[in-house]
Amino acid sequence: MDRLPVEDPIAQYLIAEEPYYRPTGDEIALYEAAYAVRMPMMLKGPTGCGKTRFVEYMAWRLQRPLVTIACHEDMSAADLVGRHLLDASGTHWQDGPLTLAVRRGAICYLDEVVEARQDTTVVIHPLTDARRVLPLEKRGELVHAHPDFQLVISYNPGYQNIMKDLKQSTRQRFGALDFGWPAREVETEIVAHESGAALDVAQRLVSIGEKSRNLKGHGLEEGMSTRMLVYAGQLIARGVPAAAACEVALVRPLTDDPDMRDALEGTVKAFF
Amino acid sequence: MAELPPAPVAVSLSEVERGLRFYLRALFAREPQLIAGRVPQAAQGEQRASIAAGAIRMPPLQEAGSQAQAAALYRAMAAHASAHLAYSRTKFDLRGRTPLAMAAIGAIEDARVEQLAMAEMPGLRALWLPFHVTAPTSTATGLLARMARALIDPACADDHPFIARARLLFSRARLDDPRVSLEVGAALARELAAAAPQLDLRLEAIEPAYRDDNLFLWQTPDGGEGEGREAAANAANVSLGELGEAVDLELEGAHGEDARAQSAERAAAAAEAAAEMPVQPYLYDEWDYIIGGPRRQWCTLFEKPPARGEAGVIDAVLERNDDTVRRLTSLIKAVQIQRPRRLKRQLEGDRLDLDACIAATLDLRAGRTPDPRVLQRLARTSRDLAVLVLLDLSQSTNDWVPGASSSVLDLAREATALVAHAMHDLGDRFAIHGFDSNGRHEVEYYRFKDFDEPYDEMARARLAGMRGQLSTRMGCALRHAGHFLRGRRASHRLIMLLTDGEPHDIDVHDKQYLVLDAKHAVEEQRRLGVTSYCISLDPGADKYVSRIFGARNYMVLDQLRRLPEKLPALYLRLTS
Repeated sequence: MDRLPVEDPIAQYLIAEEPYYRPTGDEIALYEAAYAVRMPMMLKGPTGCGKTRFVEYMAWRLQRPLVTIACHEDMSAADLVGRHLLDASGTHWQDGPLTLAVRRGAICYLDEVVEARQDTTVVIHPLTDARRVLPLEKRGELVHAHPDFQLVISYNPGYQNIMKDLKQSTRQRFGALDFGWPAREVETEIVAHESGAALDVAQRLVSIGEKSRNLKGHGLEEGMSTRMLVYAGQLIARGVPAAAACEVALVRPLTDDPDMRDALEGTVKAFF
Repeated sequence: MAELPPAPVAVSLSEVERGLRFYLRALFAREPQLIAGRVPQAAQGEQRASIAAGAIRMPPLQEAGSQAQAAALYRAMAAHASAHLAYSRTKFDLRGRTPLAMAAIGAIEDARVEQLAMAEMPGLRALWLPFHVTAPTSTATGLLARMARALIDPACADDHPFIARARLLFSRARLDDPRVSLEVGAALARELAAAAPQLDLRLEAIEPAYRDDNLFLWQTPDGGEGEGREAAANAANVSLGELGEAVDLELEGAHGEDARAQSAERAAAAAEAAAEMPVQPYLYDEWDYIIGGPRRQWCTLFEKPPARGEAGVIDAVLERNDDTVRRLTSLIKAVQIQRPRRLKRQLEGDRLDLDACIAATLDLRAGRTPDPRVLQRLARTSRDLAVLVLLDLSQSTNDWVPGASSSVLDLAREATALVAHAMHDLGDRFAIHGFDSNGRHEVEYYRFKDFDEPYDEMARARLAGMRGQLSTRMGCALRHAGHFLRGRRASHRLIMLLTDGEPHDIDVHDKQYLVLDAKHAVEEQRRLGVTSYCISLDPGADKYVSRIFGARNYMVLDQLRRLPEKLPALYLRLTS
């Protein structure tokens, strides 16, 4: 089998261009300070509020490669640390993404970490205290983390499920940054920049988003995310009429309930 | 042949109510109560919205050319009334106002609140504007109507000097100050009185159909709002006076009935209690936030044998909701099937476990004895779960649910029956308990079904026999429920509390006290490994429920009527 023509597997994880990120407070300074002491970080916030973008931006700013792992229920510890594979002469060990990041000093980002089973997430425990090691028991190897390695997890506290929660023993290993919805002016700026829509359009989209968030817990599980507003803005910037764009990007994805859809359409009409 | 005009279509408030509530919560971050009510002496076309005590009364039926038009009128009404609730913060003094002045001040106030709402949400203009239809008449009435239209629509060309004057005064005013309406309105009324004949000052002639009767804007100096309303109605020569009274009476009546029913039931319960065997009391601490510590053995809880009802009632529930049951069955199947777990390194299985095979090959090559467990298979996750459904059985659960022919308790019973059916089918271990309280010395606790009991006819009969009475001492009940769960071996132990209001009891007047005690009880249970989750049926629950249960562990159900189908679905979502 042909190997990928990548000399250094970690090189592909470097972020070449500056990702757009609009700070909403002092999170950049706080993160930099946390990184300076290699404190593991937890980013809390609803979906689509900019957690992933923030990590990308910080990785670029700190000039560290970023290894992102989307967590899911069926993820096993081997998916994180690595496994033996067969080859012509027998077997060889293939590092998993976490091991790669640990060896090469990348920032490892575990996205939506509660989705992973709790017995999977315990493999990060020895990495997230003073030891900073990753035991690979299948290889009989103890990997000492590269001095630049840092672990970041993201987590949506509004996600309601009794069975899925972070264990205290996991939680207490992290510093945490709260990501709420940005303030109105800031969110407008973000939507305008990311979508290419006019400022006035972005303002109205953000107002619609804010109104929809009033419905959280009252018929909606979650209000419209900044990401959705950006999508709507992108459609409008492509020449789609505002009402249709909002319908496609905001109202229909959010709910199947006809009464709720009417109410959201009414909300869109209050601004466009 | 000439075509007949399309027959008017009628839309009832109950059809659009739920959507309206979402709409208002989205736009104004509030959800006023929407009451269907007719103005007694007005004709069908002259039915108006009215605001009283923070609630919006709207005509129960709306006729229009099409369904969409009728719905738009309801929406315009609700939005306008909500703009009042948001921005009409002060009441105006009624003394010395002529009907003309009242009409003018009301019209300016309407324009003012709409202007403020439109400043934030410009699209509202398109909602309201179509209802402003004016004729170019120059009577006082006609001019006020034209003014209303000119003020909402800057593009409207109307060069009558009075309109120009109104526009000028309005544009100069600081709109966020409610006194503006009084000043501008009074000034305009004086000019109008001098300039134009007054013929018809009925509301219908002046203001478009979506606007409310404005009666709530007025207050007499001596009386409360109700009298003010009547006086205002009389003064304005609009006979809506009964309305305020009717609403007040209705509220009073409900309270009176409550109290009567409560005392009657209490007497019945006491008689029953006397006939029963003496019951073992349980003593529980209660948290007092003022002293910052527990009051030791403060509450006395009695476990009472639940009354027996007809088990057939519960079976009938399942039959009546066969649609939901069918949907549930497929959901349950999905839950059971969806979550297979790969068991690796098994001696028996249907597929090779690649990792184990490689490890075995390695061992073979190295001359070691390989691990023979090289297979894998899929197995269903066992749902290792113990759930206690705790029902609030306080007096308020006897209230009728608006728009449904059943009480809150009926719906709770129905929902519990469905959720019990689901839990039974899933093989989850569950118990169903309920509670009420009559002061700290008498917290009553009923066990309808216990963990180790089968969900049989007996359990269903007890479920059918439950009834609502007395108060809600939540913390004590949570502690008692927790003690049943702590003894259970399960990886997840959950109390699911179904309640319709905040904790209260007859011997506690400080609202904070029981809320904070309940919060404390939840924390105690959490430390002991029991999660509490609250399903609240109180639309105003946000204020306290997240304080008690934490931001993740509660849900406010928006539509009571749909509780029976919602609850099982919620349960499945929470636990899968």
